[in-house]
Amino acid sequence: MLALPLVLPPTAVGLVLLEALGRRAPLGGWLARQGLEVVFTWKAVVLAMAVMSFPLLVRSARTAFEEVDPRLVGLARTLGLGPLAAFRRVTLPLAWRGLLAGVVLAYSRALGEFGATVMVAGNIPGRTRTLSLAIFHENQLGRDDRALVLAGVTCVLAFAALWTAELVTHRRARRAAA
Amino acid sequence: MIELDLELPLAGFALRVATRIDGGVTAVMGPSGSGKTSLLEAVAGLRRAARGRLALDGDVLLDSARGVALPPEARRVGYVPQDAGLFPHLSAGDNVRFGTRADAAAVASAVATLEIGGLLERYPASLSGGEKQRVALARALATRPRLLLLDEPLAALDVALRERILPYLLRVRDEWKTPALYVTHNVGEALALAGGVLLLRAGRVEAQGSPFDLLASTGLAAASPLGVENLLPGRVSAHDAEGGVTTVELGTGLALAAPLASERAVGSRVVAAVRAEDVIVARRALEGLSARNLFEARVAALSRTGSDVTLRCATPASGPEWIVRVTPAAVASLELAVGQTVFLAVKSHSVRLV
Repeated sequence: MLALPLVLPPTAVGLVLLEALGRRAPLGGWLARQGLEVVFTWKAVVLAMAVMSFPLLVRSARTAFEEVDPRLVGLARTLGLGPLAAFRRVTLPLAWRGLLAGVVLAYSRALGEFGATVMVAGNIPGRTRTLSLAIFHENQLGRDDRALVLAGVTCVLAFAALWTAELVTHRRARRAAA
Repeated sequence: MIELDLELPLAGFALRVATRIDGGVTAVMGPSGSGKTSLLEAVAGLRRAARGRLALDGDVLLDSARGVALPPEARRVGYVPQDAGLFPHLSAGDNVRFGTRADAAAVASAVATLEIGGLLERYPASLSGGEKQRVALARALATRPRLLLLDEPLAALDVALRERILPYLLRVRDEWKTPALYVTHNVGEALALAGGVLLLRAGRVEAQGSPFDLLASTGLAAASPLGVENLLPGRVSAHDAEGGVTTVELGTGLALAAPLASERAVGSRVVAAVRAEDVIVARRALEGLSARNLFEARVAALSRTGSDVTLRCATPASGPEWIVRVTPAAVASLELAVGQTVFLAVKSHSVRLV
């Protein structure tokens, strides 16, 4: 169920979200009565990005947690730590690198998100036009030079994320091996 | 005192151990897959499927009939697994300080006992197998456990390293006096460290008793490929460079001559190792012999162990007990029997300082 957004076309996921959150739908109607408009606002952008990238984060996180030796957690317990403290002081630090990799992966996916966003949030200048949508938009209008500049911005953002992750994980790895 | 009445389903069979264990070190022995590690994990509280009753010095840790099952963190037992189980993301020092009850005094004391002061800044990845074991032992001791659970702490080490770690285990036993369950395959280790042996087979207690009494059981003799050694802790008392002899004063005041080892400072702790088959037995007092170590002793026990006969000889004035291995032919020709006075001779070159 959680992996569904990974295999479905993004536009299909966006359509489902649109149908569920539209004013005529029960959920969307209820939200609207609470004063929360989602569809065609920045909230819809966040929602679309989250739904599309969350499965990637969950998959990486699960692998990272599974790679932590459960016997080390047991040992932490015999040393007097409760389950929560053992998670915080053993599981989390050991799974940290995998978690960070998952965050970077999810961030990159969100940065490139197009189909679901355009369905549920539209392409409203200054409100819901994301970088990915803007590149497409400028290209459609024949302004390839501006599209290229925007593409360059996405490159910088993606590289910055990757580079930060590499820096953090390598520093920790060096310390552990020293 | 540990009261055990445990039942734990394992793959293929169930572990059922019902016994009482008094203080001191108890060796848990038995063939691979007999449930030794599972027993330790059940005592530590790491096996939730364990049923029955478990009490430590009268404190109930597990009583499934009354719905009591203390979590591992409330049991106050120190567990050292076979591979040491150090936290790889923490330095050796942070590992030792990890336990919630590890106060500064206990940490300092554990670091001193195991002589790991020089390793504290390093990370587990850069420690040798023996160093890891010492750090793991210190980490367990620093929490002042009521019971130590040691799962073959020497198994992953080669013979030379094993001998370097054994003195630390003796020191933990004699200075911390924490009761311990000590899983081992090595009869020599059991004899040197343990006051009792719990022999498991397919999850059941096959035998329980003193290590020597269980030597006669084929199960134990077969489990000892390296032979049986007398391991006698003591201190270097003098070097005689001219005579090529280093004298070791054993804990009981008995002096033992070993080959010159001037690199060991006078006063430093050593363990003298003498193989059981290197001890010569005589019925009459020996004279004009080159062997430097001559003791009068009494045969306290005698049992057939495989193709040999193993003697336990007590030296007067509560000296160390010597385990001696002789052939059945020697027993017959010397007419050896329990209660007899014998004279033991050990060449100084049969004494290894470890």
